Amino acid sequence: MKDLKYRVFFERLLSDVKNELVEQALDGGRLALGYSCYYVPEVLLNLEGCFSVRLRAPGIADTSIATYYMSEKTCMYSRSILERAIEGGFNFFAALLSTETCGMMHRAHEHFEMLNLVKDQNERFFVSHLDAPFVTKDYALRHYERQLQKHILDRLNDTYGVDTSETALRTAIEKHNALCRVVTAIGEYRKQKNPPLTGYEFHLIELVSECCPHDLILPYLEETLEELKTRQPDETPWYRVRVVLAGGENDDPDFTKLIEDCGAFVAADRYCFGSLPGREEIEIREGETALAAVARHYIETNQCPRFMNPEKVQGRKRYLKQLADEYSADGLIIQQMKFCEYWEYERMYCQHVMESDYGLPCMGIEKEYINTSTGQLRTRFQAFVEALETKQLAREA
Amino acid sequence: MNYYGGCDVGSTYTKAVILKEDGAIAASTILRSKINAAESSRLAMQSCAEQVEGLCGPEDLTYIVGTGYGRNRVPFAQENVSEISCHAMGVHITDPTVKAIIDIGGQDIKGIAVAEDGTVKNFAMNDKCAAGTGRFYEAMARSFEMSLEEFSALSLRAKNVIPITAQCTVFAESEVIALVGEGRPPEEIAAGIQMAVAKRCFVMAKKAGAVNHITLSGGCAKNEGLKKAIEKVLKIKVTALSVDPQLMGALGAAEFARRKGGRK
Repeated sequence: MKDLKYRVFFERLLSDVKNELVEQALDGGRLALGYSCYYVPEVLLNLEGCFSVRLRAPGIADTSIATYYMSEKTCMYSRSILERAIEGGFNFFAALLSTETCGMMHRAHEHFEMLNLVKDQNERFFVSHLDAPFVTKDYALRHYERQLQKHILDRLNDTYGVDTSETALRTAIEKHNALCRVVTAIGEYRKQKNPPLTGYEFHLIELVSECCPHDLILPYLEETLEELKTRQPDETPWYRVRVVLAGGENDDPDFTKLIEDCGAFVAADRYCFGSLPGREEIEIREGETALAAVARHYIETNQCPRFMNPEKVQGRKRYLKQLADEYSADGLIIQQMKFCEYWEYERMYCQHVMESDYGLPCMGIEKEYINTSTGQLRTRFQAFVEALETKQLAREA
Repeated sequence: MNYYGGCDVGSTYTKAVILKEDGAIAASTILRSKINAAESSRLAMQSCAEQVEGLCGPEDLTYIVGTGYGRNRVPFAQENVSEISCHAMGVHITDPTVKAIIDIGGQDIKGIAVAEDGTVKNFAMNDKCAAGTGRFYEAMARSFEMSLEEFSALSLRAKNVIPITAQCTVFAESEVIALVGEGRPPEEIAAGIQMAVAKRCFVMAKKAGAVNHITLSGGCAKNEGLKKAIEKVLKIKVTALSVDPQLMGALGAAEFARRKGGRK
């Protein structure tokens, strides 16, 4: 298959949080707003004059200072973010929107304040912490909506004078949906038996949509969508099996590439910031305010294992099965960052339930933020691919 | 006559097996691995081929499968299969009654549940550190200034077990040296080391879903003291294999080669 026109460009954009499109937006006087959790609605950080930047620490090699502050028994993602912040990697932020969802990441965000990390560069920089519900009841939804108002919209308005009116929110939702439509349309190609893009390429596309100002990345994504309409895949599919990749934080496309190098096409993604359900459009129902619609959307679509109510717990498993069916997956890989408090349990639980209750072979992987022991991971993935293949042959026989 | 080869390039040893058309073992080799995986595989396969009349080298084999950590670097292999699948297949063709394997290699421990047809039903792996692996044993034997065989025999003489608390290879070695320095009976310390590894094996076996009919593969399977300790913690008798357990990966690879090559 011929290379995607913008593959190298997308890889370059992901090699640094402050990439060329981010620089361009900053030069235009816009505010960069950092976030690291699905509970912080990306759409609210893309109001006029602002743009969202997902917290990443590409290429981080050492987290000694962050480990000193946070201990070695915390997830590498949160430590990597803190280390990068200490290195000055997020000094261009106007604000960091945080949630009390993942405890370790929340501690990392608190260190932004305690260590005065960005404030010495930008006097008006602030960290705002919102409280997110554990359940999906009406009262929890109302609480969440109030939190979004108080800790995101009001703070942005008070500090930077950002327009947070109903009209401004509706405009932001329209623009957000336009981006979602393009990413979803690209992702739909993965349903084909012989898809014109790989899971790795899609991971790049999904990530750049989260790490770059939406209006600046959208033209490239639209062009990629056009390219895919005529892109010819190789005559026979390159993969041996198809899998759904689920789990917690995963902003490392090389991890997806490693899986695909072992013969498993990552046909669907379902992690903290995956396209499913992350790129579903926000619908404003009749009689609903824009903020209420945002709050409802992010609670309804939320697949975070932090939700404890039975509907959500069961719903998460059903959703994985649904993805496996829609994307014709032979198996499921659940990846979890070492020490992740929520996914540690969810992964173990899923490994048993998905196979026993839904008949979907499942492999669990505990990973680091940046993977170095690729040899061992390769062995695991290859063995899983071989096992799936055997099951496939047995079914066909 | 067609011959089929399996080459298991491990982190410590490289193993090669050649099978005849009917699946009988024609030759086998075990060599210490070199830093260059391609060279290790070439030396092992060459030595193996030379044991069979009419074969001069790997190029005379009909089909070859590479496995082990260096499986991607076996230059003459038509394809590679993970060592997890190969160990399962190797053990299955040696003894089809075995339902689970604990494979203790040079750099990891694997628990593998085997399906009726010799394919992998489930597996679990400890590959984060060297604790309980072949490298661990090498370090422990070094502390006693013994060979692995002597170390194994020593542990079997123990009447009591002195627990080793450190799991890390480096710290365990220090702990052993300290215990020896205190004048504690060496055989009891050795038995403690065997028990520490057996516990790790227990976890891997249980994670993989092993219930009964279990066997050991990999170089450490020859360690009689470890076998006894595993039987003690798992409360299951470990099945002894009729073929060298260190060859299971290469044997499985050769069997895959026979099945795939035979279809060509």
